Amino acid sequence: MSSELSVKSLAVPGFFSDVQAFWAVVRREWVIFIRYPSWIIALFIWPVIFPMGYILTARALSGIDGSGLTTFQNTTGLNEYVGYIAVGTMIWMWQNIVLWAVGYSLRNEQMRGTLESNWLSPTWRFSYLLGSSIPQLVSMLMLMLVSGLEYAFLFRVHFNGSLWLTLLVILAAIPSVYGIGFAFASLVITLKEANAFVFLVRGIVMIFCGITYPLAILPNWMQTIAQWLPQTYIIHGVRTAALSTEGFSAIAFDLNMLALFGIFWLAVGYFLFNMMERRARQTGAIGQY
Amino acid sequence: MTEFAIEAKQLVKKFPARAGTGDKKAEGESSAPKKRVWPFQKKEPKALFTAVNGVDLQIERGEIFGLLGPNGAGKSTTIRMLCTLLEPTSGTAQVNGFDTVKQANDVRRSLGTVLAGERSIYWKLSGRENLEYFAALYHIPQAVAKKRVDELIERMELKDRANELVEKYSTGMRQRIAISKALLARPPILLLDEPTLGLDPQAARNLRELIAQLKQEGHTILLTTHYMEEADQLSDRIGIIDTGKVIALDTPEGLKRRIDQKEIIRLELTGWHDDLADKLKSISGVENLTTHQQGEADLWEVNLQAQNSRAALPRIVEHISGNGTRLVNMNIVKPSLEDVFIHLTGKALRD
Repeated sequence: MSSELSVKSLAVPGFFSDVQAFWAVVRREWVIFIRYPSWIIALFIWPVIFPMGYILTARALSGIDGSGLTTFQNTTGLNEYVGYIAVGTMIWMWQNIVLWAVGYSLRNEQMRGTLESNWLSPTWRFSYLLGSSIPQLVSMLMLMLVSGLEYAFLFRVHFNGSLWLTLLVILAAIPSVYGIGFAFASLVITLKEANAFVFLVRGIVMIFCGITYPLAILPNWMQTIAQWLPQTYIIHGVRTAALSTEGFSAIAFDLNMLALFGIFWLAVGYFLFNMMERRARQTGAIGQY
Repeated sequence: MTEFAIEAKQLVKKFPARAGTGDKKAEGESSAPKKRVWPFQKKEPKALFTAVNGVDLQIERGEIFGLLGPNGAGKSTTIRMLCTLLEPTSGTAQVNGFDTVKQANDVRRSLGTVLAGERSIYWKLSGRENLEYFAALYHIPQAVAKKRVDELIERMELKDRANELVEKYSTGMRQRIAISKALLARPPILLLDEPTLGLDPQAARNLRELIAQLKQEGHTILLTTHYMEEADQLSDRIGIIDTGKVIALDTPEGLKRRIDQKEIIRLELTGWHDDLADKLKSISGVENLTTHQQGEADLWEVNLQAQNSRAALPRIVEHISGNGTRLVNMNIVKPSLEDVFIHLTGKALRD
């Protein structure tokens, strides 16, 4: 019965193999994403529709001739209220989409039945979460670009600031936005269903981070909470960079805070992922639908 | 390094029990109502359900080992511990000489696994894209992977459909992609969990031929199946697992020899009713009665094991006559692996 192995494995383990596996995850996710192009409709329509309600409300309150805008200008230093609302709602949409798309990426794999077959391979497991976020990030940047063009041409928003500084703030925001997504993904695998948490997080962002109003109008206790949310700094930073001409110094504090929040949330995301992975090996949660 | 391809020593896996499913308490343990537990007060340990209860396995290199058991017997949990998806509560397992907990990645590199069959691949990718993707996950260099994918597509006779989306494939084709995925890195050991489940007879036969070829090529194969004939035909040795324990382990012939002295009386009846079971069981020398309704018609297959069928038959016929029961057919057959299974576990594999 006993025989020498005549089969020799073709696998070549090492760092480059893990990089290759990571890119395979990115490519897989991208191919599936572009193969079913219903997202194109969302890409063009959603950025216009979502802020429309806020913009029209603001227009009604400020008057058709904009005579009621003085208070807004005094509080924010900006007169571009449409752009102000558009940036706030865009950042809210970004975090919201990341919570659904990245937060539910592993859960969707689990329900399809493919999570286990990925987990059986010797690839670094965080690659599955990280890799599936890259196409999501690219699609989100496309959404931001299309939104910017739509606001400029349909709503006549004047983006007086710097494109490069705006991109810099967005870049600085990526670690915290996706770190929260990673933390969420681990939570979803453990709890199976976390819709209530998505609604809670996006509700908090909506109320505390000032997506359509300046934080100055909030009571002090709410402003204190807002200081602990990275979205507050993303919204302020992007608004300042895109709509004002104040330059780098005006966003330096936001960038510093986003760097700190980025480190914190990536660490939390990675820690929770490892905890979930360890727990799943004890409970068999990976294979449970 | 262990000489065995797979070796498990006293593997135990316990899960937190859902209400009413925990292990039975030992005699003398309190079953009094639970006391109220205050915050910070030490809580009672949670009730546990033992899925695998001290499994020992030694699978030799190059053999096909069949693991049989009814649903819930612990075979999937055992397989999941061996392929690193689950950590044992106690006990150890080595695969290709690597510890499944401490050297999990080396174990994964040594294994090709078919779990969940057609659901384990991406339906929105083509067959080729699936294989290229998993080749990268198994750390096969790109140039080697391309050749290997072509080779497997050719071998699985999927060349004409390789670039179509998997969602357009038949179950058999999807299963072939799932098996190709397991073979990609040419791993020494294959774990095949119900590989022919849901396949049509022709596709199942082709797959059995493939499994036999893989053994010839030097792969060690751990196979779980619900189909006794399949296990009988393919396996060098068979382990029968029930209630989390390996209750018998031998060659198919060795297992059948255990009940060689017994005969199997197979009856086909109409008008079966449960009272008959008690009457038949009361006949001296008759044991292990199983029934199975054939299709939707009122036709039942009843199997009995008897020490001496000649002595038992007149009494059996006497009991089933009348009361609306009619004997349609009767055979005395040689024991099959299924009969061994019934003899050992008291239930049919499909239970």
